[in-house]
Amino acid sequence: MLSIPTAIWEDMIAHARSLDPNECCGMLAGRADDNDVTKQYRITNILATLHETELARFDQAKLADLQQLSPEERADIAFQMDAHELSQAQKDMRHHGLTLKAFYHSHTFSPARPSNTDIKIAMEFESYRAILNLPQPLHVIISLEKKAHPVILAWRIHDSQATEVSVERR
Amino acid sequence: MITIRIPTPLRPMTGGKSEIEGKGNSIGELIEQLNIAHPGLKDRICDERGEIRRFINIYLNEEDIRFLTGKDTPVKDGDAVSIVPAIAGGSHD
Ligand SMILES: [Zn+2]
Repeated sequence: MLSIPTAIWEDMIAHARSLDPNECCGMLAGRADDNDVTKQYRITNILATLHETELARFDQAKLADLQQLSPEERADIAFQMDAHELSQAQKDMRHHGLTLKAFYHSHTFSPARPSNTDIKIAMEFESYRAILNLPQPLHVIISLEKKAHPVILAWRIHDSQATEVSVERR
Repeated sequence: MITIRIPTPLRPMTGGKSEIEGKGNSIGELIEQLNIAHPGLKDRICDERGEIRRFINIYLNEEDIRFLTGKDTPVKDGDAVSIVPAIAGGSHD
């Protein structure tokens, strides 16, 4: 369960729309002891700036799709967070006594459900999370499939399975 | 010795190992030394100017080296260095 204030909810949609058809990405934080999101961080999707060799972190199927596209078009079907901005956000959370609640990103042409790539990379992140002593984040997806009616859903990804978690706008 | 944790996408270069050991006085030296045993590893971590690639974080214990002194950050016996790609994802599959 995740509770997102209207201002952040609307800003995630604005973020997704401002980059459409590229995917946007970011992070949501709150206190460890409740479900309320209190802070949002927009993170740059650097996918379009990656060299072909840097795409190796995606699996073969996704890589084949990405390689058929121009760098700019690649950001329509994938995102890669800027690592420095991600660390700065984590540092800011620590500074404010907050914890990572969720990563978010947009799907500009498809439903608000995790793709195979989302699930694989989330599972990969699980193995680093333990090392870095981070809480398990949810994954929030903003779908712009129907441009006039954005949909926001939240997911828990565990054991390569995505389970929907309720998300409310407060 | 310093323990280096290798992320999934780089494990093909370390014979599948998730942890390897290395030596060096700084993160930069450590990367150079690892590249001798695992040729090509440095290229996957650093760009052509020698900077850490923009989608990778390197943590010394639990602190990002970008908040320390980057590749000049000193390391010592018993330290753990983690190479962690930032989260990514996609749609359409
Ligand atoms: Zn996705």
